[in-house]
Amino acid sequence: MRERLSFYVKRESFLHNLNPLTKLVLALGLTLIGFLSPWYWTPLAIIFFIIAPLSFVGKVQRDFLNAAFRLILPATGFLFIMQALFQPVGKTELFSIWFLHVTRESLAYAFENATRIFAMVSSFTIFLLTTHPSELMSDLTHRGLPSQFAYVIISTIQIIPQMQAKAQTIIAAQRSRGLDTESSLFKRAGALVPLVSPLVFGSLVEVEERAIAIEARGFTSRHTKTSLREIPDSSFDKALRWILLLLVVAIIAVKIWLS
Amino acid sequence: MKIEIKDLHYTYPAGVEALRGVSLTIDSGEQVAMVGQNGSGKTTLVKHLNGLLQPTSGSVLIGDLDTKKVPVAKLAVHVGYVFQNPDEQLFCRTIHEEVAFGPRNLGFDASKIESLVADALNLVELSSRKETNPYDLSPTWRKMVALASIISMDTSIVILDEPTTGQDAVNVARIAHVVAELRKRGKTVITITHDIDFCAENFERVIALSQGKILLDGPAGSVLGQGEILAQTYVDPPQLTRLGKRLGLKKTVRNQEEFLSALKS
Ligand SMILES: Nc1ncnc2c1ncn2[C@@H]1O[C@H](COP(=O)(O)OP(=O)(O)OP(=O)(O)O)[C@@H](O)[C@H]1O
Ligand SMILES: [Mg+2]
Repeated sequence: MRERLSFYVKRESFLHNLNPLTKLVLALGLTLIGFLSPWYWTPLAIIFFIIAPLSFVGKVQRDFLNAAFRLILPATGFLFIMQALFQPVGKTELFSIWFLHVTRESLAYAFENATRIFAMVSSFTIFLLTTHPSELMSDLTHRGLPSQFAYVIISTIQIIPQMQAKAQTIIAAQRSRGLDTESSLFKRAGALVPLVSPLVFGSLVEVEERAIAIEARGFTSRHTKTSLREIPDSSFDKALRWILLLLVVAIIAVKIWLS
Repeated sequence: MKIEIKDLHYTYPAGVEALRGVSLTIDSGEQVAMVGQNGSGKTTLVKHLNGLLQPTSGSVLIGDLDTKKVPVAKLAVHVGYVFQNPDEQLFCRTIHEEVAFGPRNLGFDASKIESLVADALNLVELSSRKETNPYDLSPTWRKMVALASIISMDTSIVILDEPTTGQDAVNVARIAHVVAELRKRGKTVITITHDIDFCAENFERVIALSQGKILLDGPAGSVLGQGEILAQTYVDPPQLTRLGKRLGLKKTVRNQEEFLSALKS
């Protein structure tokens, strides 16, 4: 069972060692550039010349390709087909199926949109693959994000796998006391009933215990908190963030100037 | 019912090889203690006896039932397993409901369920707290509830996973009493324990596990006498056994009576 609901893959790489905020800015920046760029091939160039190489730099190429082919490609492919078929733009008809007319323009439009979405999702995939969620949150709280907010995010990430694990142990306990959960569908549904109340009840008890535990460690204390783990923020990180910001601004400027 | 384990291997999905070839037979009505260092595979082994875990290779037979082919709910008729952690086992709102959950699933009629529940609660001395929520008890008493909830199923094999951990002397005596009562009823009792005195005083046969394999298996007197081998799995023989050895007693002694009689002879 997975420890938490995160995509994080633990590796030792240049990308892993970047500051989490830098990676977040990188993902956001690439997304914005992909969407705002006036040049048609920009998103595709981002995918092939930035994101794909980055997955190798972060040593997560296998996980990335997995996600790309199994999830992102089918989803954007679907989007592409739908837009190509139903977008009523353009006049250069290529072919038509029944009442649907596929034009050169709708095809181009759909392709651009699909590559933009692909670039967005894949840049965030790289970000999630190489950034531990709690590292991101602790870095952001250090920069002034309210810790309550960080707590909500982190506990949401953790709660589903925890509930799953808890449900598994309760089911094991009930099965070993003769509750039939594996024969018929009807019995399986019936077995859900004794599962629900201990699961919900137990989780509520846990919320209280957790609140006590974090309060005992000074969660609501107003003093500045120090952190056990220092998350490095090098001058390279800062420079990279500035460069990305400038690039986004430049792209916006070009877009305005061209229009 | 006889338990037959043949060349059992088990690897957790996470990749830990917890059992590495365990073969063992336990006859009907035997009282067996299982010892061994933390992580030696004791819990993993007993979870195979009621089918909660399925062998990676090898086989486990309960009587003539193969745990690979029989669902856990069917095995529950024969094998009762008291979890190491009671919090993983208890889920009802009152002690009475908890203890009645097992026998109800086994399909006994109402009057039999009531008498089984009453007997089990009586045995662990919780009769007066039927309507209490198990989570309002201390963890040590929750363990007693977990114990009662298995006894009430009247299975011919009862497995106790570390029943004495964290219990005071009175509670340990109470658990020893339960074990003696189960023996009188002709049940097979398999107990995992780190409490070596409890093991020496209540069990005839001792199995020592180490790194997923059986290190020693035999009558308590002979197993507990082999201090050097037991040290491999961080088990110390009882004080009296060690003292008897240093005094040069010929026989391995386990408890005060044996010690005194060996001293006198
Ligand atoms: N759910 C699990 N997933 C992965 N590995 C596990 C799991 N449960 C136990 N293990 C591992 O399997 C090995 C055997 O564990 P087991 O719980 O059987 O030991 P044990 O002898 O009962 O120890 P203890 O005396 O601490 O209860 C250990 O290395 C343990 O870390
Ligand atoms: Mg154990």
